[in-house]
Amino acid sequence: MNFRKKPKIGLFALVMLCAGCLYTPETALLPGTQEDLESCVALFPSGHWECVHKIEGVIQGERSSSMLGIIRGYPAGRELHTVLLTPEGFILFEAEQHEHAMSVLKAVAPFDSPAFARGLMEDLNFLSLAPEGGPSKWGRTADGAILCRWESPDGTRREVTLSTVRKISLRDKHGDLAKEALFMAPFVKGLASQMELRVHKPAPYRLKMNLLPGTP
Amino acid sequence: MAECSRDGRMRKSVLREIVFLGAVTVAGLVADEPVHSQDWASLKESFRNIQSVKAEFVQERHLQILKAPLVSEGRFFYLASGSLRWEYLSPLQSVMLQKGDNVQLYHFSEGAWKQDMAQGVEARRMVLAEMSQWFQGRFEESRIFRHSYSQCPPCRILLTPGEGINKFILGIEIVLSDRPGVIERVEITEPGGSATRIVFRNVELNAGLPSKVFDEP
Repeated sequence: MNFRKKPKIGLFALVMLCAGCLYTPETALLPGTQEDLESCVALFPSGHWECVHKIEGVIQGERSSSMLGIIRGYPAGRELHTVLLTPEGFILFEAEQHEHAMSVLKAVAPFDSPAFARGLMEDLNFLSLAPEGGPSKWGRTADGAILCRWESPDGTRREVTLSTVRKISLRDKHGDLAKEALFMAPFVKGLASQMELRVHKPAPYRLKMNLLPGTP
Repeated sequence: MAECSRDGRMRKSVLREIVFLGAVTVAGLVADEPVHSQDWASLKESFRNIQSVKAEFVQERHLQILKAPLVSEGRFFYLASGSLRWEYLSPLQSVMLQKGDNVQLYHFSEGAWKQDMAQGVEARRMVLAEMSQWFQGRFEESRIFRHSYSQCPPCRILLTPGEGINKFILGIEIVLSDRPGVIERVEITEPGGSATRIVFRNVELNAGLPSKVFDEP
């Protein structure tokens, strides 16, 4: 066994670990048009909408679970209503949001913790509602992608990127990628037929969401 | 996501799931004699002659949040010796397999069957235990439902939950078909206007069912 290699391996591992902690510099943008900004906002559904997804959740890369998810939204009032169901139709969780007030209507273990409710509604807001207020920047990246950026007072940064892939990402105040969502064509009444939510922090999980035919 | 813990909340959840899933899966309730002239005792007796059931179903889930019901289709296989396969074919492809005390859940994703997270297995095991009583006509042994029998036609079995459970299930109605020994539909009514309706079709009684139906997703 070559013990002299260990310090190098350790240093490499340390560098790789720290790489994930480094602040990610903002992407330089070329000036964008009003249409570019409207394209970013159009990624979020508008008006009264309702949809049903089949959802596969993967936690820690191994264990997975499948369920049905119903979402009804009204962006003007920042209203969301959601129901999670087992394949048999048993309601696991139901909650509503009006403006910034959330109320849990039904929740059974293990979906009955305040942390789960808060996390789920944060994910739905992230996926479904355009950020409040105007963007801090928008434009084109060097490779031609449209990028719109919203910054929050708490230091988090939300970006919409439109290229061959349509994506929303959220970075925390340190610039680390907290979560991202990929939207896959075809789009039905403005809703992606497939979405994948990848949450990296604080606990990693992944949700694959497939829009059911006929909804909306 | 929160982990499942074996505490009181879990037991409450399990109980709720027992009621709902048990109601949804009651399709094995069949009789092999004409039911129009049956009384409760003879109906109960007829359950004991069922060795196997195979059927397809269409399930409508009516919820306040939805303008139109959520429609699922599936099929099930039941052996009186203690095996069950309850399978959804659309919109979400999933299957629950029971053989003896062993219960496994799978869902189909990316071209392969994947085993579901374990937290639902215990609940379903208890559901199946409850159901096995129903399959044998032992309604009076249920700790969850009071039963009553409505004279034909149409023949109906009414299941009424006890105190506590009625906060989320108001009642279950099992409607027997004109065809002797076959369930036509099951209707589950919940508070707040939600409901589930399951209609059965192509029901086959006492057909030979290969073992792999209960072994493999």
